[in-house]
Amino acid sequence: MKKITLVFIALAFAGCKKSLIEDPRGQVVGTQALSTVAGLNAALTGAYKPLAVTWVSGFTTAAVDAVLMGSDDLTTHPASNKQDFREFDQYNVSNLNGRMVNIWNGCYKSIQGANNIINNYKSTVGDAAAINQILGEAYYLRALDYYWLIRLWGKIPLITSEVYDPAVLKISGTGPAEIYKMIESDLANAEKLMANKKTDDGRTSKGAASALLADVYLTEGGWPINDNSKFALAAAKAKEVIDNKALYGFDLVPDLNTFWQNTKAGTTTSEEVFSIHNCGTCNWFNSNTSTGASAMPLEENGWDDYFSEIRFFNDFPAGVRKNVTFHTVITKADGTKIPWQNTLVKHPYYQKFRAPDDGNINSPNSTLHLMRYAHVLLIYAEAQARTGVPNEQAYSSVNAIRTRAGLAPLSGLSSTDFINAVINERAWEFAGEYTRWFDIERLQILPAIIAKRDAAENPVIGTPKYYLPIPAAETQLDPNLGN
Amino acid sequence: MSKNLPVLSGQHVVDPSLYRTLSKMKRGVCKALCLFYLTALFPLISLAQSNMVKGVVKDEKGLPMPGVSVGVKGTSTGIVTDNNGHFSLNLSGTGGDLVFSYIGYLKQEVNVKSGSTVTITLQPDNKNLSEVVVVGYGTQKKSDVTGSLSSVSAKDFKDQPVTRLDQALQGRASGVQVVNNSGAPGGDVKIRVRGSNSILGDNNPLYVIDGFIGGDFNNLNPDDIANIEILKDASSTAIYGSRGANGVVLVTTKRGNAQKPEITVSSLYSSSTVLKKYDLLNAADYATVVNERAAELGVDPTYTNDQIAGFKAKGGTNWQDQIFRTAPTQEYKIAASGGTAKSQYLVSLDYLNQKGIVLNSGYKRYAVRSNLNSQISDKLAVRFNISGMRRENLNNQSPVNAPVVQALGWAPTTPVRTAAGTYTISDPVGSIFQNPVALATDQTNVFNNTSANLIGGANYHFFKDLSLDVSFGVDYQNQQGEYYSGPTITNNIPTASRTSAELVNLQNTNTLNYIHTFNKVHSLNVTAVFEQQKYTSTMFNANATNLTFYNLGFDNLALSGSQSAGSSYSRSNLISYLGRVNYTYNDKYLLTVSVRRDGSSKFQPINQESTFPSVALGWKLSEEPFIKKLDIFDQLKLRGSWGLTGSQAISPYATLSTYLSDLFSAGMSFTSTGVTSGIVLGNAANPKLKWETTEAKDLGLDMTVLKGRLTFSADAYVKHTRDLLLSLPLPAFAGGGSIVSNVGRVKNSGIEFNLSGVPVSSGKFSWTSAFNISYQKNLVENIGSLKNIFSTNNAGAGLSSQPEFTIVAGQSLGSYWGLKYLGTWKPSEAAQAAKFGAKPGDSRYQDIDGDNAITGSDFQIIGNGIPKYSLGWNNTFTYGNLSLNVFFQGLLGFDKLDYSYGKTMTANPEARQATNVAIRDRYIPGVNETSNIPAFSATNKDYFQSTRFLEKGDFVRLKNINLSYDFPKGTIPNVGLKVFVGATNLFTITKYKGFDPESTNAVSGSDITSSIDNGAYPNSKTFTAGAIFKF
Repeated sequence: MKKITLVFIALAFAGCKKSLIEDPRGQVVGTQALSTVAGLNAALTGAYKPLAVTWVSGFTTAAVDAVLMGSDDLTTHPASNKQDFREFDQYNVSNLNGRMVNIWNGCYKSIQGANNIINNYKSTVGDAAAINQILGEAYYLRALDYYWLIRLWGKIPLITSEVYDPAVLKISGTGPAEIYKMIESDLANAEKLMANKKTDDGRTSKGAASALLADVYLTEGGWPINDNSKFALAAAKAKEVIDNKALYGFDLVPDLNTFWQNTKAGTTTSEEVFSIHNCGTCNWFNSNTSTGASAMPLEENGWDDYFSEIRFFNDFPAGVRKNVTFHTVITKADGTKIPWQNTLVKHPYYQKFRAPDDGNINSPNSTLHLMRYAHVLLIYAEAQARTGVPNEQAYSSVNAIRTRAGLAPLSGLSSTDFINAVINERAWEFAGEYTRWFDIERLQILPAIIAKRDAAENPVIGTPKYYLPIPAAETQLDPNLGN
Repeated sequence: MSKNLPVLSGQHVVDPSLYRTLSKMKRGVCKALCLFYLTALFPLISLAQSNMVKGVVKDEKGLPMPGVSVGVKGTSTGIVTDNNGHFSLNLSGTGGDLVFSYIGYLKQEVNVKSGSTVTITLQPDNKNLSEVVVVGYGTQKKSDVTGSLSSVSAKDFKDQPVTRLDQALQGRASGVQVVNNSGAPGGDVKIRVRGSNSILGDNNPLYVIDGFIGGDFNNLNPDDIANIEILKDASSTAIYGSRGANGVVLVTTKRGNAQKPEITVSSLYSSSTVLKKYDLLNAADYATVVNERAAELGVDPTYTNDQIAGFKAKGGTNWQDQIFRTAPTQEYKIAASGGTAKSQYLVSLDYLNQKGIVLNSGYKRYAVRSNLNSQISDKLAVRFNISGMRRENLNNQSPVNAPVVQALGWAPTTPVRTAAGTYTISDPVGSIFQNPVALATDQTNVFNNTSANLIGGANYHFFKDLSLDVSFGVDYQNQQGEYYSGPTITNNIPTASRTSAELVNLQNTNTLNYIHTFNKVHSLNVTAVFEQQKYTSTMFNANATNLTFYNLGFDNLALSGSQSAGSSYSRSNLISYLGRVNYTYNDKYLLTVSVRRDGSSKFQPINQESTFPSVALGWKLSEEPFIKKLDIFDQLKLRGSWGLTGSQAISPYATLSTYLSDLFSAGMSFTSTGVTSGIVLGNAANPKLKWETTEAKDLGLDMTVLKGRLTFSADAYVKHTRDLLLSLPLPAFAGGGSIVSNVGRVKNSGIEFNLSGVPVSSGKFSWTSAFNISYQKNLVENIGSLKNIFSTNNAGAGLSSQPEFTIVAGQSLGSYWGLKYLGTWKPSEAAQAAKFGAKPGDSRYQDIDGDNAITGSDFQIIGNGIPKYSLGWNNTFTYGNLSLNVFFQGLLGFDKLDYSYGKTMTANPEARQATNVAIRDRYIPGVNETSNIPAFSATNKDYFQSTRFLEKGDFVRLKNINLSYDFPKGTIPNVGLKVFVGATNLFTITKYKGFDPESTNAVSGSDITSSIDNGAYPNSKTFTAGAIFKF
């Protein structure tokens, strides 16, 4: 029995105290994740991603059309389940609105990812050129994110650290002046650090940074910064991009129809300055659902999320561009074809944002263009004209767009007429493409736009506003944050 | 208690001829077992033919008692009495002490001489005072227990078809709430012991199965359960330290008995249907309503008059009928048990095949168990329990796009299939999601869990009072997931994936126990334990999208457009020391003191270890002369306890800042042909995390009167949980997500009553009844410097972007955050409505800040999702061999946020038209201007998180009614037979509008999302018939 006793005692204390130190195998932990170029690159991918988490955050859901619906190129269903969309169309947005959080959350998560790279790249060991490229892309993303946020909300938290600090729960919003300063500086860094051409279809480049900076300058020339000196900068920067278009790999696609077919298929073209590419056939959460069913009529199994306002369509000059832009003959399930006037909502639909004819309407691969080379040309045209008399390059820039659209070239206009023509050209060329609302805002022309609104559109409720309320989920956590 | 009642397995009566047959059988069984285990554990009884003693055993009324076990003290010789109460056995010498025992009767020892004939009368043990209960790391006489515990034994649920442990607990133990979150077979169940302490942590109690800590009750065949003890107060749970705060459920499985082998075969068949269906519009009415809506909103009608006439004539699709079905269940069980006085065995098999009430859903279970124990010598006993189980779940989850929700949203005017015979892919009028029938049939969601639990131990007595118990346990779970979504629900991009996980939990427990009584009055029971546990889990998954051959599903992932893979690892360790002293003075005054020290790897070194002490006092008043004199109480005991328990309610690595690397969060498609994986910052880290501690106080009273016919117990308790671990949501601008923090204090207090007795017992008829009711109140005492804390999840995402719950000091956990719905604006209020951009007929909400706009600042606490009362009432009526069991169960005092109903009443982001018949009672300008159901109007705003869709969830239901008949002995020679028929959830008293007030979308462990109904899988109404054979 003694033996048994000994065996027992031995068994009972066999294990004894092992280390209670955690072994986070398989986890990517802390800043050491960024110690290699591969790690830094993975973090950069993670800074792009929040801009395209389908249905959840970023631009690849009809939320991007919803937040811009105050514009005259977009409206939504008067009934159906479109309460959240109508709030924007009617300038009556509650801070409870569920659509705008996609944009807000996506931009801020992307900012956090960019901050992580900007603040920690120094610990990365590896090829300096590769690190610079990644850092440059991070600066570009941060600038792009803040540019969207400041134009939509007007007064926003300025966050430059990726690490959570409880003090952040008490900060108040920062206005445009300071935000634009930072955007300019980030884009200047981005220009310096990146290679001329993008390394993949959906990435950014030096050329894209310069183009975005030109757009930022143009915006700063208008409301709310109202700094006229920025127009010259905008013109110079746009000219720099135009003059170096071969270096950057930018050009117009000669045929608009080809361009939009490629866009729907997700095939890249030289016209893309910065575009979000999507692979709906890879995963549903990598699809661009701002296109496809969202843009399509109920009669064609669509969701009627957004379509064109009637007045906008009627004013749109006829030609190849109008045909490519709008979808006006609807094919019902039984095969009969009806004009848009006879659809349930009696509005013209967008052709540009449909899925390819044989493609999937719920999970499209289509590309979402945040900036095209056409933007650069029109930025130049407008900015140059605002610094004096429109020069030859201003005319050639706008006429390149008009010619492709099937319109007669402009000539011999006064500065004011030329600028107005370019602004109209922007509205038409970029119909539904995240441009028109921001033009309305920087030019402060909302009352005129509303005055022209067709009587059949959703009625305006209350006093129209340019800015959106900060989402309630945010102000509930940080009560100092109101705009 | 009449001994004529059907008796438990193990106490069964068999005639001698059968006994001989069975002896042979037993040898056969044993031989088979010996191949697998140790021959030494099963010495067989051998009977010598000399020194015969004969006799008869009778009960207190003088009736013969069959099945009484008769043993010769100090030997392994033993036998049971026959049908007539007779026995005969051989003594080895000229005389000896015989020991007579029978459950519910006092044990008796009688000295007999060889060759004599004796008559023994056993006295009933009314008080059950000698009953022994399992407490953590040991056993205790029930009468000496100072803590608060509820017991459920196999006999409490033997009259009901119980397929899982939770059904055995439901309504049978005070202070224990059981909620079937999901009615899916094998679905999720929420069990709470005295409410929920923790916000972040899992509030499920700790399950300890045969000493193995952290077992999974899903892996138990309920027929294997001998008894369940629920430890409720801190003095009983503190012994489990950092895992004891939510109560502890101790399950002891059956052991073979030393009497005679017994084989039980039982089978049941049942048929289930959905509890109720929504009253939805038929096709013609739906089309009419949709057109009315179009007219009121100024758009063209969706349907032509001809179409409506067509629907009137031919009907449409009843989607609920399409996806709900009558579902059969079959279960077969075989158990064999027996042994000798030294070694016993129990072997059981179980097969359950349960179809779900939703098309193409179901659950299968295969279980096997073998429990062996043997007294090798006077000093050494060994035991070995092994159980294995396979659980196969098919389509048992209920996400928002599950068939159940979609059946409520799809237009009845849309056919299931197109003219070409394929599924209609999308609904042109109603839901924006997939076809409910396609969701049910073109989707496979398989989760298979194969588990093995082995626990072996040895107990060695150094001398009479001192023993050491050493046990080793392994719990192994292998989880395989197989998922496939076919072309009809993926827009022709079929996807499939496989997951594989292995969870290993190792445990070693070493218990030193000393029991001694000094000077006949000072009884001491000292326990010291060293215990270590290690949990490891590894997982990998592979996903494929755009399958080349969709019919290959998840069996050939390589043939697909794109693939991705993932893997993960997690480990945590727990090292514990604990000690306990039970002291009894003069069998009257009881004291228990315990302390446990736990160290967990989940925290940083500075906060790793914590100590959990407890103390309890008991006073057996019934032992005091002045109480004895009253001659009223069989038992009267006062108990009081105090203790600390903890919760390490965080997942491993919460103190570290980790990245998310899954494709959903971090995989970017830089081209239209592929996805690049990346990393995104996850939740912020908090290296300062420490244990969450619950301090609990309990005061209890146990009372037995009328010679054991009436038992009453009452408990009152208060629990304070401090350093509450919770996820503080972070604003999106700060990176979003949440940070786990120790914040604030929560108080749970409550009272519990248990009353059981035998109201009627006359002749062949008896009625036994047990009633329990618990009241529980939760109060958040403080949350530090914060004003309120919002829940981090949003079950209604897509319908409502706000957190559904908030935590505010002075309120209960589970507080709903929402708008107060004031009905519709009435014609006389047009001017006021206009200020809100609304008009008469539109929804009106309380505008708290008076800014004439409904915004986030108008949100307030609008209700509570945690039930305040739970009750159970179990009755058994017996007449001769006929027995009727009627069991009611209820939950009261809680609200449900009913998204499911809301979706049928609105045009919302998920469904574009209302489907409920009640929509016809809406406000219609000029027609019905009193209705509080909003009109069809472009200016109307439906907010789901409002009192409009908050409903009382209170319900009382006839959980079970069961009639059984035990055939008189001899009806079938040598076979005992019992047959039964019954029904589950036969009726429910509730005002709840949804399918089922009990089912929710909450995850069992969490109480943050309690009581939300967003397409939860409803419970079913079940009719059952079965038979039990005993050989």
